[in-house]
Amino acid sequence: MTQIPVTVLTGYLGAGKTTLLNRILTEEHGKKYAVVVNEFGEVGIDNDLVVNADEEVFEMNNGCICCTVRGDLIRILGGLMKRQDKFDGILIETTGLADPAPVAQTFFVDDDVRQRTWLDSIITVVDAHHVVQRLEDSHEALEQIAFADIILLNKTDLMPADELAQVESRIRSINATAVIQHTQRCEVELDKVLGRRAFDLDRILAFEPDFLSEDDHEHDDAVKSISLRTERPLDGVSLTGWLQHLLAEQGQDLLRTKGILSIAGQDKQYVIQAVHMMMEVNYTKPWSPDEKRESRLVFIGRNIDESVLRQQFDACIA
Amino acid sequence: MSLSAVQGRTSLFERIGTSQKLDAYVVGAVFLKEGLLAAALGDGQVAFINSENISPPSFVSVHDGTCLSLAVDLEEQCVLTGGDDGRLVSTDTEGKTAAIATIAGRWVEPIVVSRASGLRAAAFGKTVCLFAQDGKAVGQFDHSNTVGGLAFDPKGRRVAAAHYGGISLWWAKASTQEPKRLNWSGSHLDLTWSPDGKYIVTAMQENALHGWRVSDDVDMQMSGYPTKVKSMSWLPKGRYLATGGADSVICWPFHGKSGPMGKAPVDIGWGFESVVTVVAAHPRHDVVAAGYKDGAAILVQIDRPHPVLVKQPGEGAVTALAWSADGQHLALGTESGFVCRISLSDWRAPDN
Ligand SMILES: [Zn+2]
Ligand SMILES: [Zn+2]
Repeated sequence: MTQIPVTVLTGYLGAGKTTLLNRILTEEHGKKYAVVVNEFGEVGIDNDLVVNADEEVFEMNNGCICCTVRGDLIRILGGLMKRQDKFDGILIETTGLADPAPVAQTFFVDDDVRQRTWLDSIITVVDAHHVVQRLEDSHEALEQIAFADIILLNKTDLMPADELAQVESRIRSINATAVIQHTQRCEVELDKVLGRRAFDLDRILAFEPDFLSEDDHEHDDAVKSISLRTERPLDGVSLTGWLQHLLAEQGQDLLRTKGILSIAGQDKQYVIQAVHMMMEVNYTKPWSPDEKRESRLVFIGRNIDESVLRQQFDACIA
Repeated sequence: MSLSAVQGRTSLFERIGTSQKLDAYVVGAVFLKEGLLAAALGDGQVAFINSENISPPSFVSVHDGTCLSLAVDLEEQCVLTGGDDGRLVSTDTEGKTAAIATIAGRWVEPIVVSRASGLRAAAFGKTVCLFAQDGKAVGQFDHSNTVGGLAFDPKGRRVAAAHYGGISLWWAKASTQEPKRLNWSGSHLDLTWSPDGKYIVTAMQENALHGWRVSDDVDMQMSGYPTKVKSMSWLPKGRYLATGGADSVICWPFHGKSGPMGKAPVDIGWGFESVVTVVAAHPRHDVVAAGYKDGAAILVQIDRPHPVLVKQPGEGAVTALAWSADGQHLALGTESGFVCRISLSDWRAPDN
């Protein structure tokens, strides 16, 4: 059974999400997509296989308010899997006001979804002119930026370079690992937004905290990124124990956690991905002999005490 | 019995079975009269496969998309299917189709038929519609979430719908009514009503079953599964409820006064390194056919430890199992479109 890549498109109403969707569907790439649109979609989608979703967000039965999934997506993805070989990928459009967490968590929680699909990337389309204001007045806009693997900074034409740089730095202060693409009318080479999973992991390695500009003022609900790293191998048992404990205690504030880690006595890279308190870990490809075995762990979230996390992380060094 | 112990054994299918390759996901299978088998497929077709395999299967295009569900219709030579094209369709063995209802943009997933009351019920997303034999809509029940499972009580007078947060019970013939709600937090994905009418059981998102005793709404939790339970089937007279979701067939005892409360389930056919995806109880004996994710299938009997191998692993996960009404024929379908059928007239399940 082959696994189908899934791309999630988020972004505020009017940012250009549907333009991007139609661009993906109409460009000549020889690939067929199944498209899951929300029932309040902006305009028509030109595609053979369009499914209307009604964004049924369900709480999991563990009593935690951050552990939510999209019940309708579980059902829709299950139904789509009955049409064998009819498409190469799935695109999911969410409403402008949607918090991306339940969509992302669906790919962690449901076994069938995990076995049949993989979350390629979350793409957030933002309007360069309005995004800074949106971040001030909308919780969802903030979450959409924080969750993104790729951010299309759209409508950048007619925007002075210094203003654009300020917008980009504000986005970077929230999400330091996302790839930011500047676009007009969502014109972007599709291989820069589709099939990016491996690239996303490389971004974690490339994340340079020093690059971050200091935010000029603190926000009450400031979402920020921090990166921890070490060149010394980590103890697998202590690390996993610490992460499980940390996510259970602070998962509501930790929006995304990603890491590539070097575990003592292991030849393979230990990759961790988490959304709130749902974590997935895998040993993936081997470290190559000429590669520096440096561990990197990135947290994107609220109320993060960097020095405490650094101390706890260092305690996991083997 | 471990998987390695069955490898090398000859399966019932290899000895006495016939098979077809249908090239589409087998969503469901049912037997009609005279051993005629109908299979609903992921490409929107219904295939009819005759008993002696003397002629190739005939295919009928029914849904523009995927068949999502299948049942024997009130007219017993017809099958009822729901599709992701928003249609509920009755198809006869000659290939004639009749759309009973269409709601564009909705998926028609759980469908049930009550011969006792002459009604069919189908969920169009959040709305359950009832239809009489002549196709007339005779009821419409709205829910605030999508309905994952549906069942009639044995007399066909009530309908139970499973959804997020619990279940709703409706009277089939009442014109205006508030449903009786039985709440249990979590997402309820499938539902079955015991043949004696005393219990309702749902399968949940959280690798567990939940049950209610209908007379007093007492809750029952049945947990401990390693995966989601996607198939439930009542043994004759409702003495046990057989379920998938584990590496063996888990059968909950329902014959005592208080059902499975405080009792451990019977665990049979253990030891395969795969998960049971579909179960189908024999209509007359305490025998269960179980299909596995790796494509294997077995017959197990309550209180007997040794399963009979029906099919070796392969051809993708088992997605459908069906017994004929007389229990003489067993059919199996997989996600890769493999369909096999076995005539058991020579194979005797010991009487209980
Ligand atoms: Zn949580
Ligand atoms: Zn501010």
